[in-house]
Amino acid sequence: MQTVTEPQTQRAPPGFWRRLVRSPSGLVGLSIVLLLVFCAAFADVLAPYSPTKMGAGGRFLPPGGKYLLGTDEFGRDMFSRILYGSRITLLIGAVAVGISLTVGMLVGMIAAFRRGWIEAILMRGTDVLFSFTETLIALSFVAVLGPSLQNAVIAVGVAGVPFYARTCYSAALVETSKPYFEASIAAGAGPARLVLTHLLPNVLPTMIVVATLGVSTAILAAAGLSFLGLGAQPPTSEWGYMLAGSRDYINRAPWLMTIPGLAIAVTVLGFNLLGDGLRTSLDPVERK
Amino acid sequence: MWRFLGTRLAMGALTIWITTILVTLLIHAVPGDPVQIMYAQSQGTTPEQIEEVRRSLGLDRPIPVQYAMFIERLLHGDLGNTIRGGQPVLDVIMQRLPNTLILACAAMFIAILIGVPIGFLAAYREGSVVDISLMVLAIAGISMPHFWLGLMLLFFFALELGWLPVSGSGPLNLILPALTLGLSNAAIFARLTRSSMIDVMSQDYVQTAFAKGLPKALVLRRHVLRAGLLPVVTMMGLQFAFMMGGTIVVENIFSWNGVGRMAVEAIFQRDYPIIQGFILTFSVVVVTVAIVIDALYAVLDPRIRRA
Amino acid sequence: MNALLSVRDLAVRIGTRPLVEGISFDLKAGEVLSVVGESGSGKSMTAKALMGLLPPAATATGRAEFDGADLLDADIAPPRGTGIGLIFQEPMTALTPVLTIGLQLTEALVSHEICDQKEARRRAAAMLDRVGIPQPEMRMRQFPHELSGGMRQRVVIAMMMLLGPRVLIADEPTTALDVTVQAQILDLLREIVAETGIGLILITHDMGVVAEMSDTVLVMKSGQAVEHGPVTRIFKSPEADYTRTLLDAVPRIDAATEQAETKQDVLLSVSDINKTFNGRGPHLFRRHGTRALDNVSLNVRMGETLALVGESGSGKTTLGRVIARLTEADSGKIQLNSLDLTACKGRRLRAARRQVQMIFQDPYASLDPRQTVGHTIAEPLIIHERLPRSERNERVRQLIEKVGLEADMARRYPHEFSGGQRQRIAIARAIAARPSLVIADEPTSALDVSVQARILDLLEEMKRGEELTMLFISHDLAVVRQIADRVAVMRHGKILELGSTTQIFAAPRHPYTRALIDVVPVPDPARKRGVRPALKGSYPAGPLVEASPGHWVAS
Repeated sequence: MQTVTEPQTQRAPPGFWRRLVRSPSGLVGLSIVLLLVFCAAFADVLAPYSPTKMGAGGRFLPPGGKYLLGTDEFGRDMFSRILYGSRITLLIGAVAVGISLTVGMLVGMIAAFRRGWIEAILMRGTDVLFSFTETLIALSFVAVLGPSLQNAVIAVGVAGVPFYARTCYSAALVETSKPYFEASIAAGAGPARLVLTHLLPNVLPTMIVVATLGVSTAILAAAGLSFLGLGAQPPTSEWGYMLAGSRDYINRAPWLMTIPGLAIAVTVLGFNLLGDGLRTSLDPVERK
Repeated sequence: MWRFLGTRLAMGALTIWITTILVTLLIHAVPGDPVQIMYAQSQGTTPEQIEEVRRSLGLDRPIPVQYAMFIERLLHGDLGNTIRGGQPVLDVIMQRLPNTLILACAAMFIAILIGVPIGFLAAYREGSVVDISLMVLAIAGISMPHFWLGLMLLFFFALELGWLPVSGSGPLNLILPALTLGLSNAAIFARLTRSSMIDVMSQDYVQTAFAKGLPKALVLRRHVLRAGLLPVVTMMGLQFAFMMGGTIVVENIFSWNGVGRMAVEAIFQRDYPIIQGFILTFSVVVVTVAIVIDALYAVLDPRIRRA
Repeated sequence: MNALLSVRDLAVRIGTRPLVEGISFDLKAGEVLSVVGESGSGKSMTAKALMGLLPPAATATGRAEFDGADLLDADIAPPRGTGIGLIFQEPMTALTPVLTIGLQLTEALVSHEICDQKEARRRAAAMLDRVGIPQPEMRMRQFPHELSGGMRQRVVIAMMMLLGPRVLIADEPTTALDVTVQAQILDLLREIVAETGIGLILITHDMGVVAEMSDTVLVMKSGQAVEHGPVTRIFKSPEADYTRTLLDAVPRIDAATEQAETKQDVLLSVSDINKTFNGRGPHLFRRHGTRALDNVSLNVRMGETLALVGESGSGKTTLGRVIARLTEADSGKIQLNSLDLTACKGRRLRAARRQVQMIFQDPYASLDPRQTVGHTIAEPLIIHERLPRSERNERVRQLIEKVGLEADMARRYPHEFSGGQRQRIAIARAIAARPSLVIADEPTSALDVSVQARILDLLEEMKRGEELTMLFISHDLAVVRQIADRVAVMRHGKILELGSTTQIFAAPRHPYTRALIDVVPVPDPARKRGVRPALKGSYPAGPLVEASPGHWVAS
């Protein structure tokens, strides 16, 4: 506390990372995500076998023993496939969210900042696309471009744009109507200054939360497409695709179904929890 | 209220109109010659036949003319014929659409029936062990891929226990797909209901109701629930659209004979008329439901009803 | 006579942290007790403890004897509604939006089994009539959003009085209302006390309301009772230092005004400004616009403080924003010195903005939370003056010190500062680039009185030191009287009267101005006034005519 002319000075809140780690969801989420990043980064070191090497020890070996998570219908090591799959999954999440975030923020910020007819066109268009739902947009894209992992990721990324644009737009709109923003206009600030020093830093926290939660959605959507056969193609160790393949052996080797599904669920849970944790720790106002 | 509904109706019409444009353009966005691609899988198609198809689809004309043709056919209820089998697309879709709608509605029903009470209970016991465990359950539910949940349910209830059929289209067959779709969305409803109720419970008007000496049950039932459910209702339209998207995957898992399964098959077979028809149908359904939900909301919220 | 309610050593804690401590008072029938204090004094907590409406984490100890039972005894159901009623500050949120007025009025009568539904409706209608709501039957079928703020507060009062409580707690019941409406609600409460003999606990921060309403006063600060006694004694010879500071800080509408000599050079000339706000939405379904400014013309002289006064919806804020070019007028001209502000666009406008700066009402939203305070203050300098960094930092240091803060605070972020400090920072930013006009839009309305007094002093000081010309927008006539040289009274987008502060307050000519001045509660119990007639009927709202030198009145 410092000496001041008036009482009621608030104590500086603890730093962002401390707050994040103190919230249970933030801590668990961050741990899961870090673990995933670790797995993805060191997949080739951690994996005991090649994810594509077939039939070495036998097909349909149950989990435990030499093959930690068992083997699949071609005798590939499930543990190694899951490890390599984390790489693909994180990449899918990052690229898809990258597309949604970049385009969405651009649209949202321009609409909120320019107002007038540019705003009307951009936001009405976004509303229309939004009511299309992400699934339909993604499916239409794959229908046009043809099934492949790359196309699925692009499709999921594009499908997310309306949501990101809307969120960014409303967050930016809130900021532009606040007195501090108007004070800056009244001080004579130009568009570049307004956007870069005031709008962007204040919208960013919201968008970081949205993007973190969005990684979950993107991973789920892409895995869904792969599950339908519209995304990753053989012999990729993509979790959704692995799950689709397990259907034929559901009686004989149920672990082929449970393991990739669990991997997706834990990953998605990790990003969801991290997003929730970020939401509370990035926004000092919500902390009470 | 009429102004509110009028705006929504106009937005819906705009959405469908834009869909028709996008659907016409869709076929041109395909890399390569769409007609060639469509027939690539069937052998023995002569170049004459291909030209014939091109003409019948209007693909040899300029795009605005194609669009006009498309709209004209559409107004006559003609969505073209399927590439495989040559059936009218509208018939193929209409045959399957009821199945999809039944599935989506059943799932919606389950989601609301489970999600809303859970959310209410969690809000009522905010901060308690009950609340925390329910919300952990909800976030786990949101994180669970529904295609995985579907497979697991299939595995346990149909294969291991043998209680329910694996696939087909009877009433018993509805249970598993509806549960799959309903459970993951119940989690979303639970979270939404909880935050809305917590928000309402901290409002002055709830305190005022208590200050009048009303019993807790009455305050919750009359003041909290009515006001707190409004945001949930607004989200229902969006949730339904979400469900419709979910049906595509779930129908494929349980071999449910709906439009979603049809669409995925059509994508594999490059049957563009079906894909076009599917996209159009999907958006009409979603827009219609959204308008119905908006109307419901307008009736429920006096601030809109009497504005 | 015995006390209705007798509170001894009331304390409220969350965990081990005390929020309220050692509160004791007696309330007799027909008595009005004011609990007065600034924000954070624990006055609302005290009310909630008596109602048994504390948040679950909080616990109350002590005794509060009412009707032979202890209100703080957790085992006994509190006599909510039937014994003690509670009225909240915000009438806009005190009624459930989705239920009819009628249901909300009658439900407690039915639930307490006082009478059946039919009788309840009859009683409710009679009570609405009593609290001054015409056409009660029709109103009961309506929903809260269809009533104005003042009406809703009447409904809440009716709702509580229907249950026949013997004590009524009103928590800032008029703070959210305009002064004219406030006067009516206060009159109503006073009548109710006189008629029914209930005890009223009035929680407020406004010393004027205290003086006007109460028999006894309890002054609170930081959760503790500072002083307790009869109202006349508290105002005449306050014992506690805090009470004295509080009383000294209150701006008086009945204070003498010192007339500064006014220069005649016009700095800002506003002519024929019109502004209509359109409803949002697609054209086809757009609502009719509301006329915010209706042919407004005004001159601001060099070095003076001109106050724009009016109630909500008067257009005073819109006018300020139009002059600052934050809102575009539909028509009209704004001329600053020789510069036509309305004609400026793009780069020229940005350069011209240096001349006009704004101070906003909300100290929390008016500073960018992600910029250091130093950067916020430096912004106008960065934009308009190319200074070397060291020189700029020096200027910022000087500015911070000038507004009464410490220079090393420049590196801190807004959330580390209190409301008053933030408003100081906003003032520093406003004067940084040496503008010729500062527009202050309700700069002290969100602050406690003691802080307000110091901010007003600072503005006064700045005005003298920097030779500032100021447009001061406020709803608070007492504040205006203290700070303004000239006053413009606005209503419904028009200026109704314009003159020197002395002319406006000592010899108001327009009936609306007179009504407005008349309804402001004066912090002097000796000047308690009776029921005031509300401004009714039509009043002149035409073009301004000079009634005496420099005194203009709508014709």
